[in-house]
Amino acid sequence: MDDDEAIGRSLAGDLSAYEALVARYSALAHRTAAMLGAGDEAEDVVQEAFVKAFRHLSTFRRDAPFRPWLLRIVANETHNLTRSRGRRSELAVRLSATAEIKAPDDPEGSAVATDRRARLLEAVRHLPERERQAVVCRYFLQLTEAETAQVLDWPLGTVKSSTHRGLARLREEVGNELA
Amino acid sequence: MSSHDPFDDLAAELTALADFLDVPYPPPNDVASAVRARLEPTRDTPAISDTPATRETSATPDAPEPSDTPATPEAAPEAPPEAPDVPGARRHPPAPGRRDDERRPPAQRRRRARWRIVTAIILAVIAITAATPQGRAAVRAILHYAGIELRLGESTPEPVTTPTPLPGEHAVAPADLSTQVRFPVKTPTALGTPQRATVSDNGRVASMFWQGGIRLDQFDGTLSPYFFKSVGPPWPEDVPVGGVTAWWLGGEHPLGYLKRQDGTSVPLRQAQATLIWQSGTVGYRLEGAGTKERAAEIAATLLQ
Repeated sequence: MDDDEAIGRSLAGDLSAYEALVARYSALAHRTAAMLGAGDEAEDVVQEAFVKAFRHLSTFRRDAPFRPWLLRIVANETHNLTRSRGRRSELAVRLSATAEIKAPDDPEGSAVATDRRARLLEAVRHLPERERQAVVCRYFLQLTEAETAQVLDWPLGTVKSSTHRGLARLREEVGNELA
Repeated sequence: MSSHDPFDDLAAELTALADFLDVPYPPPNDVASAVRARLEPTRDTPAISDTPATRETSATPDAPEPSDTPATPEAAPEAPPEAPDVPGARRHPPAPGRRDDERRPPAQRRRRARWRIVTAIILAVIAITAATPQGRAAVRAILHYAGIELRLGESTPEPVTTPTPLPGEHAVAPADLSTQVRFPVKTPTALGTPQRATVSDNGRVASMFWQGGIRLDQFDGTLSPYFFKSVGPPWPEDVPVGGVTAWWLGGEHPLGYLKRQDGTSVPLRQAQATLIWQSGTVGYRLEGAGTKERAAEIAATLLQ
């Protein structure tokens, strides 16, 4: 069952089809909510987003991809949450522990790479909010510029400029050396 | 990657970094079940005399929550869902006049607000999740019913190890009970005259005790909750009792009291299996009856 079929059946009231759709996008939705600042309330945000997505499914254009449409609702819910908390959203991720064992033959190089990743992540964390959101969407969530524009509800030009400014700032912070 | 050539290497590095970022997430099937449980059309809404218009008649799963239903005083109606393309809109407008908004800490208010749904919907969720093991594990809710706040969690809550009496609890002669409280007190004919009785919190709660550890608490069920119960799986089970729906909490669970003055949660003790229900303006909890069937029998003799 592809997305379009699942959506069609969901619109007809088949909750099992929607359940399949939720299961399919659940991990990505959690990743998006956490990375856009939902923190430990990502689960609540995601559940709320899926409920709203279902209720608004009739407004979804069937010829468009489902993923950015859904992620936009997730981003909205996250935005509402961080705004209601009245503080800056945070990038709620941590470096995987498995990062340490990627290069067992080269412990020194591995340590350098790990350190580099940690510095880069810290730099992303400290970007101004809009630049961080753009960088997170483009590279951590690997959305296209057009998808990022849709998810964040920004004009395409804003996505381009915020991404560019974010990258420039990261370059200043962490320099040129590659991991 | 990026169209900005000078940053291609950095962009590639960021993309590679993404693989090293851990974001915990619950099992997708649990999320799917929880979402489904919230979308299921209401199929088993109890007719509670003090909870007007709780039956959701629409068969469509996306029927909006009734926005003009008073429901219970605690279950303020939720705003209709906003369009998904309105990023600036608040998810939940403030509910002026909600007593507990003044007396609960902000974090708790927020959590309550997020899960606040018209009672009918939540009762339906419970009815449905009781039938689906996955839903039972994943859905979380706070339910206000019959003067009791049910805190439904995903796992068994920590037991209360030090029992505490109700605020201001003092013994009274069973015959005098009705003169000491602010609402009509009833006695279940199935149990007869209680061995002893107490009144607590300035006449807000009347408690009766019988042999074998059976205890019946009666309290004004229309105000903010007096009691809270923390409950993990298995979730409450609905039991029809004399025309109202009661809820059976089949396992022992932490019971606490919510102070009138400031809403402070006071852990009381580990309660045994309990049946809770509401009749008229009074809330009831019957503890220690043993089985669901026996509890329902006793409750029915009170309702007559």
